[in-house]
Amino acid sequence: MVSAAVMLSVAGALAWLLWLTGDVGERIATTRWVGAVAGVLIPVWLLLVYYAPIEIAQGVIQKIFYVHIPAIIPTYFGFVLAALGGALYLRARDDRWDQLAVAGAEVGVLFCSLMLVVGPIWAKPAWGHWWVWDLRLTTTLMLWFIYVAYLFLRSFAFGSDTAKTFTAVYGIAGIAAIPFVYFAVDLAQGSTMHPSNPAREGLPPEMGRTVGVGMVTFIWLFAWLVAKRLELAALQAHALVASRVRSA
Amino acid sequence: MSGARVALEVFAKDLRLDLRSRDRLGHMAVFALLVVALISIVVPASKPERLAWSPALLWVVLLFTSLLGLARSFQSETEAGALALLVQAPVDRGWIFLGKAGASLVALVGVELWAAILFAVFLDVDWSAAPLACAAAGLLGAIGLAAVGTLLSALAVGVRFREFLLPVLLFPLVLPILVFASQITADALAGREVSTQLWWAFSLYDWVFALIGYFVFDYVLED
Repeated sequence: MVSAAVMLSVAGALAWLLWLTGDVGERIATTRWVGAVAGVLIPVWLLLVYYAPIEIAQGVIQKIFYVHIPAIIPTYFGFVLAALGGALYLRARDDRWDQLAVAGAEVGVLFCSLMLVVGPIWAKPAWGHWWVWDLRLTTTLMLWFIYVAYLFLRSFAFGSDTAKTFTAVYGIAGIAAIPFVYFAVDLAQGSTMHPSNPAREGLPPEMGRTVGVGMVTFIWLFAWLVAKRLELAALQAHALVASRVRSA
Repeated sequence: MSGARVALEVFAKDLRLDLRSRDRLGHMAVFALLVVALISIVVPASKPERLAWSPALLWVVLLFTSLLGLARSFQSETEAGALALLVQAPVDRGWIFLGKAGASLVALVGVELWAAILFAVFLDVDWSAAPLACAAAGLLGAIGLAAVGTLLSALAVGVRFREFLLPVLLFPLVLPILVFASQITADALAGREVSTQLWWAFSLYDWVFALIGYFVFDYVLED
């Protein structure tokens, strides 16, 4: 049930973002409805987090899980958008796909940073260390480095078309590297202290429901943030054209 | 002119340039010597500890050393508008990528051989324990570094803060190469069986990045 809601949300958010990218100027009004969905889901998720039972062994610090685990979905979602938008930009040379790619990378890095910051805050009391050699920790940090590098490349590349092409290429290379980063550490016997996905499915119902609602909430919050970023890019492009017309 | 011919010409031109100026190879050789000498001073003196650390240290040294060479891979093309002329070649630009990556591969293999001698001298690593496995890991590592490095070096040409940007772009993408290569080297030197999966994954990574480089290089040089 929870998995189905998460998968439907990912598919719905992806379809909406692709449709929105087609004509941001005309379709941006629909962003308010997605914002409303996220706005309703956030207090529901916060209430569920508040009323979720306190885990006996770890205490209240375990509630960080309800932020930490859901943040992974928008992280991957953002980086897939960066590669997808980049590939479509290289194929069509249409600025709209480039804007989708950059928006996905920026918001993806935001959620990845959130996950990497709250994880150690939980890990210190739970494991006794802020950071340990762990399969998921290491691979997620590398993922973060790849897309922070993507944003650096974007800001340092001169000329708009060059920057767009270069980031599209790096976004595609980055997404190709991710399975290998994961696989490499796995093959190097990088042990993990994180639970596997089936273990998460086996959470007590109240906890599983809270994690699931958190995932759905974060997916729609992510989609709303990407849409706002697309709107900002459209406004910037509009302002640039207006200033050129004025100066001409 | 066929694509393969252009790749060969670019490859031979870069090699000639390396051999005549000796800048790229010379700087990498001196840097590797300096770093390995420093490592030999700071790592613990006991042989088991040195051997345990050596495979990982070797690949970190190779990564930093290769960065020096890869950063200069496109420097010659930026002088006197050479890059603008190079892209006029009437072939798929993927062939130019293959030529440049091939020349970097030869330079990296040379640096690996030099680093292997340095590790044998300064850290007492006995390569004769598993010469074939170590050589194969070295070759796969050099192919991967050359493929990823050539692509990113082309991206970083003309970008502001390129000295900062190239390692920032390169290091996360070559992490699997470091993990695969140091694991294989460690297993081989310790007499353990190297996992077949490790070889396949390593080869696949090289293949994927060579393909990405070949197919997207056209877009990179276009701008």
